[in-house]
Amino acid sequence: MNAIEVNHVGKCYGKVQALNDVSFTVAQGEVFGLIGPDGAGKTSLYRILCSLLLPDSGTSQVDGYDVVKQMRQVRQRVGYMPGKFSLYEDLTVEENLRFFATLFGTSVEEGYDSIKAIYSQIERFKDRRAGALSGGMKQKLALSCALVHSPSVLFLDEPTTGVDPVSRKEFWEMLATLKQRNITIVASTPYLDEVRCCERVAFLDRGQVQGIGTPDEILTRFAHIFNPPGLEHDKGMKAGSENVIEVEHLVKAFGSFHAVDDISFTVKRGEIFGFLGANGAGKTTAMHMLTGLNQPTSGTGRVVGFDIRTQHEQIKKHIGYMSQKFSLYEDLTVAENIRLFGGIYGMNDSDISTKTDELLQRLNFLEHKHTLVKSLPLGWKQKLAFSVSIFHEPGVVFLDEPTGGVDPATRRQFWQLIYDAAHRGITVFVTTHYMDEAEYCDRISIMVDGKIKAMGTPQELKEMYQQPDMDHVFTFLARQATRSSD
Amino acid sequence: MTLKYLIQKEFLQIRRNAFLPRLIVAFPIVIMCVMPWVMNMEVKNIKVDVVDNDRSTLSQQLVHSIEASNYFIFNGQKDSYRSALGEIEKGKADVVLVIPQHYSTDVAKGLQPQVLIAANAVNGTKGAMGSAYLSLIVTAHVMPQAAAIQSQVSTLLLYNKNQNYKVFMIPALLAIVMMLMTGFLPTLNIVGEKEAGTIEQINVTPVSKWAFILAKLIPYWIIALFVVTVSLLLAWALYGITSAGSLGLIYLLAMLLALFFSSFGLIVSNYSDNMQQAIFVMWFFVVILLLLSGLFTPTRSMPSWAYATTYVNPMHYFIDAIRTVMVRGGNLASIAHQVLALAAIALVMGGWAVASYKKNS
Amino acid sequence: MKQFISFVIKEAKHIVRDKRTMLILFGMPTVLMLLFGFAISTDVRNVRTIVVTSQIDNQTRAAVERLGASEYFTITATVGTPREAELMIRNQKADLAVVFGHDFASRHSGVQFIVDGADPNMAQQWTNYAQGVIANVDTGPVNSKMLYNPQMKSAYNFVPAIMGMLLMLICAMMTSISIVREKEKGTMEVLLVSPVRPIMVIIAKAIPYLVLAFFILIVILLMARFVLGVPIAGSLVWIIAVSVLYILLALSLGLLISNIAKTQLVALLLSAMVLLMPVVMLSGMMFPVESMPKVLQWISAVVPPRYYIEAMRKLMIMGVGIGEVLKEVIILAGMTALFLSIALAKFNTRLE
Repeated sequence: MNAIEVNHVGKCYGKVQALNDVSFTVAQGEVFGLIGPDGAGKTSLYRILCSLLLPDSGTSQVDGYDVVKQMRQVRQRVGYMPGKFSLYEDLTVEENLRFFATLFGTSVEEGYDSIKAIYSQIERFKDRRAGALSGGMKQKLALSCALVHSPSVLFLDEPTTGVDPVSRKEFWEMLATLKQRNITIVASTPYLDEVRCCERVAFLDRGQVQGIGTPDEILTRFAHIFNPPGLEHDKGMKAGSENVIEVEHLVKAFGSFHAVDDISFTVKRGEIFGFLGANGAGKTTAMHMLTGLNQPTSGTGRVVGFDIRTQHEQIKKHIGYMSQKFSLYEDLTVAENIRLFGGIYGMNDSDISTKTDELLQRLNFLEHKHTLVKSLPLGWKQKLAFSVSIFHEPGVVFLDEPTGGVDPATRRQFWQLIYDAAHRGITVFVTTHYMDEAEYCDRISIMVDGKIKAMGTPQELKEMYQQPDMDHVFTFLARQATRSSD
Repeated sequence: MTLKYLIQKEFLQIRRNAFLPRLIVAFPIVIMCVMPWVMNMEVKNIKVDVVDNDRSTLSQQLVHSIEASNYFIFNGQKDSYRSALGEIEKGKADVVLVIPQHYSTDVAKGLQPQVLIAANAVNGTKGAMGSAYLSLIVTAHVMPQAAAIQSQVSTLLLYNKNQNYKVFMIPALLAIVMMLMTGFLPTLNIVGEKEAGTIEQINVTPVSKWAFILAKLIPYWIIALFVVTVSLLLAWALYGITSAGSLGLIYLLAMLLALFFSSFGLIVSNYSDNMQQAIFVMWFFVVILLLLSGLFTPTRSMPSWAYATTYVNPMHYFIDAIRTVMVRGGNLASIAHQVLALAAIALVMGGWAVASYKKNS
Repeated sequence: MKQFISFVIKEAKHIVRDKRTMLILFGMPTVLMLLFGFAISTDVRNVRTIVVTSQIDNQTRAAVERLGASEYFTITATVGTPREAELMIRNQKADLAVVFGHDFASRHSGVQFIVDGADPNMAQQWTNYAQGVIANVDTGPVNSKMLYNPQMKSAYNFVPAIMGMLLMLICAMMTSISIVREKEKGTMEVLLVSPVRPIMVIIAKAIPYLVLAFFILIVILLMARFVLGVPIAGSLVWIIAVSVLYILLALSLGLLISNIAKTQLVALLLSAMVLLMPVVMLSGMMFPVESMPKVLQWISAVVPPRYYIEAMRKLMIMGVGIGEVLKEVIILAGMTALFLSIALAKFNTRLE
């Protein structure tokens, strides 16, 4: 019996065709992947299958019930974790979990087995308010909330965005145990290793199903998107020995909790420095100290020659910054955003306008010069945000998970931009949860529990820990963590 | 220099907003078209019931003189005080006049008959004014000599000669318009950037906090100037009300109030986590400032402890001064102390606002 | 049922944990009651009076002393010419000037009041009072009686109005914002997909606010009775019954707003623009409805708090029976039924 049947489903928002004649079936107990770029129509499809949205055309059944006519039955059988699932920030971790458990007619004790692997990592913070957790921790709690009950069909809309590789693995192991209980799972993900965990995947693009098959079939057939040719990075051309970032014994404590616990490292000019770590290891806090958003508790640091404790305003003149949650002002156009940030860094009008055209030309983006940023796809926003952050040619640029939630081809393009910047002598300081991106870095540090556990080139690290790739290196180190929190 | 780009950005964002440009244009228009009619505390249409226990020619004369008065609406004669009270309870009458038995014989003998006036005083002003006015009519009727005294006393009303309530209220409306435009809007704007996370991006740039704050406020000051101008033009076009004093002083006062409100809004937004909180806190303080400012009720009628708060209430200085200028035609000398006090409060708040905004924590 | 209870508890936690909002929710009624009870009044007091006279004779002195001795007037200066008095009034150093003519003593006539007419009501009252004091009519033929509010406290008028405003604000604004917040944050999707019936989600959201509003109602009534000394003249049962009806009305309005608004900001502005402004302006809370032009009176006829405030004034202050406010109660009940059915009919069990 098929758990899900989708027949010729279409959905329009005004003139935009979100879904166009989508058909597929998912067998009972199957793990089915739904992949595709941002804006492909995945979220619309999830909502239609959860009976949250009415399709314009076509029919679909979930667990044998029609999603339009038998809404109540459908809702009693499905579990859904939306893409921007958010918790109740003013409730504690435990209260959130308890609430969702009761909501789905079960209890934490009953469902504990199915969430143990992930929930045990955050259980010791069960009395903390969800709002006080770090980004990745919230995602883990959200996963626990979504999995605490056992529905017949589970829909997961990019559940692991922003989650570190170790936790992602644990998450997919948990899904495998659900499968043993004959639960049908439909999940979407931008990570290739997760795509490979599915039994079958459908590739969705511009509202249409481009292909359905085993993960390998699809990844090979659409290799230009999922497995683009590797990047050429001229590692020979290494810049001078001058240190752009110097950090010694840096500590940031919140009460008795040391978020960043005595870290020391240096980054040289023109280097691409990957700053890795599990969720809550202290990456964002460290980056906030380097960019002058936070004062260190103790220790010293110099960025582009200025002291992070006393000269943070001078530092800000010489750095660029791009954070995960912010890309640009959504209600301004592309050109207006560039103009604003150019102006903020003291460039004059004529410089700005010539450089704007140059930049957009290079990005092949000239036609969208006067488009509002909010109407651009996510990948474009990220490329644009990065270009804006280095528009004033800073000495160093800080990137905090810059490529969350986009497909491999777009990430590859993004990294091409990073290489171009490094070539021009801009130092790049980047955090990421994609281990293929870690391989692109010149040098990497891995943070565990607020301390730097390992540092070196990807090659050195792989040799040192005798692991085949960065993914394994990371997993090996992060599994030694004793705490998991921000 | 960077200020130019930041201000440009603010204006673009205001223009792109689906709601704000309409609000900025519609708000002063609605306020000026509707509020002067609403904020009318003029007491009129007082409904009078009469219980005539005398039923003489003289008592009927008194009834007729009440009927003839423009001030009252004559609701009718009732048989008994009890039934008249029933009318009050139903809200059909506001005041009852009870003429005693032997009214005409008492008046003829030169005795003082006791006429009872019972007023519904749930609304105190209405009750007091209605009964005071009614008793003037009765006194004149009973004691001709009192009527004579009344006629010898003359009253010269200064400034608002036509006793037009709108003349009194329109200057105060400027305060309300300013409050929304320069208080609430910047607050929402800054908390909005906080919630969207864009403020973090600004904080890692070399923008000085002065530039950032000024860029947030200057657009709203300009909007406030525009809105004040529109309001003044509307007051003239709709009601024929113009300022008796110099326009320059009005703008000076408006700017000082704008400085206060925008600084206050900034302080609130710097300490708030989300829009709801900011709005609630703002609203709480604004209501208190407004109620104690003398906008609706005279400050001199307050008990002394409440009056003491007006010394630190910028709204009070503004309303006092703007009425002096617009209604009484005062010059700079007549409002010097209000201007100084307003400026001092605004500067203190401005300093606090800049100090409470932290780029680095 | 268990789901429902845990839902209500969760909602209550949201409210209790937002300390600042809680503080405002309970601080607002307290402060408003105190202000209206003690600070705000339109009594004639401390009127700064100037005496204008060229010669002081006994008659004049007696009149001036009577003025100064009265609780209403404070003599602040004596000047020679009306010109000076006018200047002082313009500069806001005085409110009223009493000009005695040359022959005041001999003919007991020729008194002129120069009044700051900016505020017409007060100007009128000042002259009435001053006239009374000067004419020295202590025992007139009139015996005035102030019904229901013998001390003429403005609190009597405002307590029902504060109730009308705050209950509307808390129920409508807070409910709509809390529903829209779940929409905005994406949790609403999960709640809708859960086996709990959508209607239960909404009822569970409304209950804590109903309880909160009820609490605030009690606080207001207790303060009115024991702090402000406003008597609760009518039946307490009916006062509470009508208030609960009104709270339901406000909750339905909040629900209606949450159907329309997509973001918290819009919900906030809608509540402020559509509810708060008309409530303050058109409900007769501060400004009497009958002084408004006809058009505005018609508009005010659809503003629900108008009927509630009217009913409360009659029930609480005047102490009439429920029969006398039947009209208001029926209108409120009709509006509740109307808004609730529209809100429920429009409630989306799906996302658009």
